[in-house]
Amino acid sequence: MKILNFLLLLPFLSLSCKAADDNAKPVDPKPVEEVKYDTTGVLFKSYKGLVMAGYQGWFTAEGDGAGRGWHHYQKGGKFEPGSSSIDFWPDVTDYPKTYNTAFKYANGETAKVYSPYDEESVDLHFKWMKEHDIDGVYMQRFVSEVKGESGKKHFNKVLANALKASKKYGRAISIMYDLSGSVSADMDFIVKDWEELQKLFALFDNKQNPTYLRHNGRPLVAIWGVGFNDGRKYTVSDIQKLVEKIKGPTKKASILLGVPYYWRTFGNDTENSPLLHTVIKNVDVVMPWAVGRYNSSSYTSVAGTHLPGDIAWCKTNNIDYAPLVFPGFSWGNLKNDKSLYNQIPRGKGEFLWKQIAGAKMSGAEALYVAMFDEVDEGTAIFKTKKEGETPLNGDGKFVGIEADLPADYYLWLTGQGAKWFHGATGYGAQKPDRAQ
Amino acid sequence: MKTLKLHLFFLLLLLTGCSIDNYPAPDAQLFGTILDAETNEPVEQDIIRGSAIEYIEHGYESQTKQLMIFKNDGSYRNNLVFSNTYSIAPVRGNFVPVTPQDVQVNGATQLDFKVQPYIRVKDVKIEKVGTKVVASFKLQQTVINNVRKIGLYAHPEPTVGEPMRTALAEQEINAASDPNKTYQIELDQAANSNVLKTGSQYFFRVGAIIDAPESKFNYAKAVRLAL
Repeated sequence: MKILNFLLLLPFLSLSCKAADDNAKPVDPKPVEEVKYDTTGVLFKSYKGLVMAGYQGWFTAEGDGAGRGWHHYQKGGKFEPGSSSIDFWPDVTDYPKTYNTAFKYANGETAKVYSPYDEESVDLHFKWMKEHDIDGVYMQRFVSEVKGESGKKHFNKVLANALKASKKYGRAISIMYDLSGSVSADMDFIVKDWEELQKLFALFDNKQNPTYLRHNGRPLVAIWGVGFNDGRKYTVSDIQKLVEKIKGPTKKASILLGVPYYWRTFGNDTENSPLLHTVIKNVDVVMPWAVGRYNSSSYTSVAGTHLPGDIAWCKTNNIDYAPLVFPGFSWGNLKNDKSLYNQIPRGKGEFLWKQIAGAKMSGAEALYVAMFDEVDEGTAIFKTKKEGETPLNGDGKFVGIEADLPADYYLWLTGQGAKWFHGATGYGAQKPDRAQ
Repeated sequence: MKTLKLHLFFLLLLLTGCSIDNYPAPDAQLFGTILDAETNEPVEQDIIRGSAIEYIEHGYESQTKQLMIFKNDGSYRNNLVFSNTYSIAPVRGNFVPVTPQDVQVNGATQLDFKVQPYIRVKDVKIEKVGTKVVASFKLQQTVINNVRKIGLYAHPEPTVGEPMRTALAEQEINAASDPNKTYQIELDQAANSNVLKTGSQYFFRVGAIIDAPESKFNYAKAVRLAL
């Protein structure tokens, strides 16, 4: 009986060490003629050398005509003291069109907000970008929002406003599809929506939209949210197909992929799928999501070797790289947790500048700033109210920018970074002094 | 009887176990140098506690990591490698981390690694001044991290380095280095007379280490001096 047991074990002792079978080599696709664009008059022929921000544009106000209530301001259907999803309050002093809210300042004055559904407000944002030398924005297009009629109407209106303003102020503009909340079946929707946008706005028309961002000779479109291991209901393989469809056989567009911070090493936030690298090698620019991955004190130890490692990888694989920088992070109201106010402090711009300088000194050639107008997560660089001057918010509060800074300080500081990336001298690890 | 059967079985097992397998012996050689991607110069290393080369042979479930080391001059060689495909990367080193590459090793296979050294130790001058050995040099760091410390190391063998020295002089820096500054370190022979004997020759090497996880010293070439 014991012998039988041993005999049963024998097969395990003779496990084969044979190498895996060679994979069949893929057949090269037939070469097709690539589309050629007339780039006469096109203002931004490459993302290289540019500092661009993300533009959420998702806010609406009661009465702005979008019919979406207090979208992205409200929480639980209400936008009133104690019930709001924003941590920073937009400073609407310069806006021609504003909306009264249920919030009041300590002096009893009604607090107001803006809506990007209004052309005037978006115009003002682009005016600020020009004033401060910020090159432009990626217009966020949330798949989960634009799938519905009301969302589509809103984001198309904001995009129309932005295209007009970008032309007026000579700022770069590009579309970024945010895939958060998407499912595999949405890939076809994105392809269809993207085709629709090109027709509706004549996006690639060099005369009508000379400010639409080009890269590697083609209009650039961004796809954000690829390779995250946070349980998304679409796969890297879905994105691979999406990239192929968007490019098409004639290579119609260049593509920027928004990926997790640890995309290169498959660590922490990244799905362990080698296919991710295959997909990345097939696009034009990679932009890793750095928000929340470090703070001011951990920045150098995290990014110090990570950033140049990313850049070296991208050089080897002949793709471009745009690191993300953000001024700080705060989502106490969104998460209903007061301990999350100022979760990643701004330090009067020290944190933002550390990242700008770190990126530049590590060899980065372009920047993505998260974000222009994101007040829910408190990463906005546009004008917001200062500490001590924010509206009252029940037993909670609104986080303001540092009281001794001017309202446009983060626009200015981002602009200083842009000047450095444009080739201006005199910048270094030390945050520039505005008085100079 | 049962015991005898069992013994016979073991004997059989032993005999089959000892028979020569039908796999080829290691028939390939893998060698190369770790090079600075910008200057194409070898990146100096330590033979102990230095950067390593990690490689995984393809075709096995276990994905066992094997290790090789570099020589001081940044070269490496393994003359007993099985011909196969390997995922190979230099790791835990004095350079910006790189991702493994898949390499077909067959016959004499040369594989050089191109890396970005954390620090380039440049314009090195090591000379004897009175009873001191004085090293002056410049530092060019390629990452934003602080330089942790710099050092001058001495040993009778050319394999001198921070882990392999009989005498040393170090300076804590803990700041970003200034590319225009000339750094100077003095090693006092008198204070080290038991290990640095007059009339003998020693090897001296300047090193600097960056403040990054698992980083190793960057060096200039060792210099021989008679004291």
